Amino acid sequence: MGVIEISQTIVNGLLLGGVLALVALGFSIVWGIMNIINIAHGAFVMVGAYVAFWLFKLYGLDPFLSVPIAMAVLFVVGYLLQRYLINLVMRAPMLVTFLLTFGLEVIIVNLALLWWTASWRAVTTTYSGTGFNVGGVQVPYIKLAGLGISLLLAWLLTLFMNRTRTGNAIRAVGMDMEAARLMGVNVRHVYALTYGIGAAMAGAAGAILSMIVIVTPEMGGAYTLRAFVICVLGGLGSVPGAMVGGLVFGLVEAFAGIRWPGMDLAVAFAVLVVILIFRPSGIMGKAFYH
Amino acid sequence: MTNRIFTVLGALILLVGLILPLWVSGYWVRTITLLFMLAGMAQGWNFIGGYTGYPAFGNVVFFGMGAYTTGILMNKLGLPFVPSFVASGVVGGLFAVLVGLPVLRLKGHYFAIATLGVAEAVREIADNWESLTEGGRGMTLPINYAPHFSHYVYYTMLGILLVAILTTYLLSRSKWIYGMVAIREDEEAAKAMGINTTWLKILAFALSGLFTGLIGGLYAYWNTFIDTNSVFTISYTLYMIIITILGGPGTVWGPIIGAVIFHALRTFLWLRFTELHALFLGFVIVVVVIFMPKGVMDVVRGRRRFTFKYFLQTVRESKV
Repeated sequence: MGVIEISQTIVNGLLLGGVLALVALGFSIVWGIMNIINIAHGAFVMVGAYVAFWLFKLYGLDPFLSVPIAMAVLFVVGYLLQRYLINLVMRAPMLVTFLLTFGLEVIIVNLALLWWTASWRAVTTTYSGTGFNVGGVQVPYIKLAGLGISLLLAWLLTLFMNRTRTGNAIRAVGMDMEAARLMGVNVRHVYALTYGIGAAMAGAAGAILSMIVIVTPEMGGAYTLRAFVICVLGGLGSVPGAMVGGLVFGLVEAFAGIRWPGMDLAVAFAVLVVILIFRPSGIMGKAFYH
Repeated sequence: MTNRIFTVLGALILLVGLILPLWVSGYWVRTITLLFMLAGMAQGWNFIGGYTGYPAFGNVVFFGMGAYTTGILMNKLGLPFVPSFVASGVVGGLFAVLVGLPVLRLKGHYFAIATLGVAEAVREIADNWESLTEGGRGMTLPINYAPHFSHYVYYTMLGILLVAILTTYLLSRSKWIYGMVAIREDEEAAKAMGINTTWLKILAFALSGLFTGLIGGLYAYWNTFIDTNSVFTISYTLYMIIITILGGPGTVWGPIIGAVIFHALRTFLWLRFTELHALFLGFVIVVVVIFMPKGVMDVVRGRRRFTFKYFLQTVRESKV
């Protein structure tokens, strides 16, 4: 491998990692605050991608403008799902919550198959495939903007969690639900809000991914496993952890993809095993939302 | 009392099961073979997920490896079915031990995702290892033209299921079961009491692997065509889990009852609403985990009755 090829792979990895970090961010907040592994997270990514796809196809709306729309749609979906369904099992054993989100994933994916069919869809804008060149290394605009949006949303989320009353309430519930409730926090609302935010992040990632990968009802599953690995890699429950984990994971996947193409999930799994053996608390150590 | 009812019920089902193929049509032989297959796989999951309480979400990997073991041995090496079938069980059990040694150290969410990851990773490897598995094109097994081949499969599947039930039954009367249940309730306390938790967890996982592997091997021979997407599908794992929970996890008869209810509903819906078939699995999961996470056995054992109050009580216990 020459210098250019290595630099290109690093750039590809970081750009891919940006979007993956955004996926992991939503997954991480739900896991950290609510102790739920949200298997339906990948399905939310898929719905976000379809929102962008249909707005583009039917109204010609630029997918970047669809990002906030996809976030709003998924926030509402996530809020309602948590408030009226997942809240029913919040104190049940882990197997129950895990299975419930799995059931939701199956339902969402199959509804998508029913309504939107299994056809492969793609969003091709006028600037698709364009980019600039730095010393022989190609930097595509779409992926660069994706990384930018991802960093922006991570920054906004940090501000929200630290500076606002609602954000503080969310963190309080994550630390000690009973104590927060005694302090007058409406736990049901906070849980629903947290899940809604998680889903909104997935929606944003989906809208960006609609321009990068093929959109199908079954595209989401792979992102759920990746999000989990990234959360473990970066250390659960921290915004910087999810971002750093995402970028590192993107690099690993980009380099592994050259040696073992088509084995993304096997590589992700190998990364998971290695971290769990050598550094179970993640690269950034264990941290809570801050 | 309940035990006697189950003995009579079991004997009756066995009798009907043994003579049924002589009367019913090929469609029903196939449907009931499928019922045995689901019940057997659920019984396999019950060892690790039901009794030991480890949320294994990758048990389909044993099914897939069993199917490919039989496929490769019969197709590439020209072995007859019986030794290939035995090898499928051995491969399933050994793989469970190999994977279990590191993975069973994890708990809760980490264990669940790790097992899920193993299954996905093995599917991808099988997909890419074309010289061995023929990759995405799938593999065709030698077709058996014997006139009563479907009956042969039927009885073999029934046989595996019976051995699985018998194993569960014998286990449920041994001292090991107390160790497994102790691990489910509080692993640290079990360890402190001097229970060899590692050995029991590996045993439970290996039993899962053994039976699921055998069923996978038979499925490959029965279906005569396997590909990575169909034998490593996550749906099978979900079937095993939801059937066990529907019937009653950690009981001998739970998986059987669950399989009968689930398969009856599934077959009924398949005939009427083919396109909604996959959605159905999702809805069953949601309804079962919210309203009856302890399964039918919780009621059969005579402690409670299925009334509106029971469901309300269940929800009240776990909601926020």
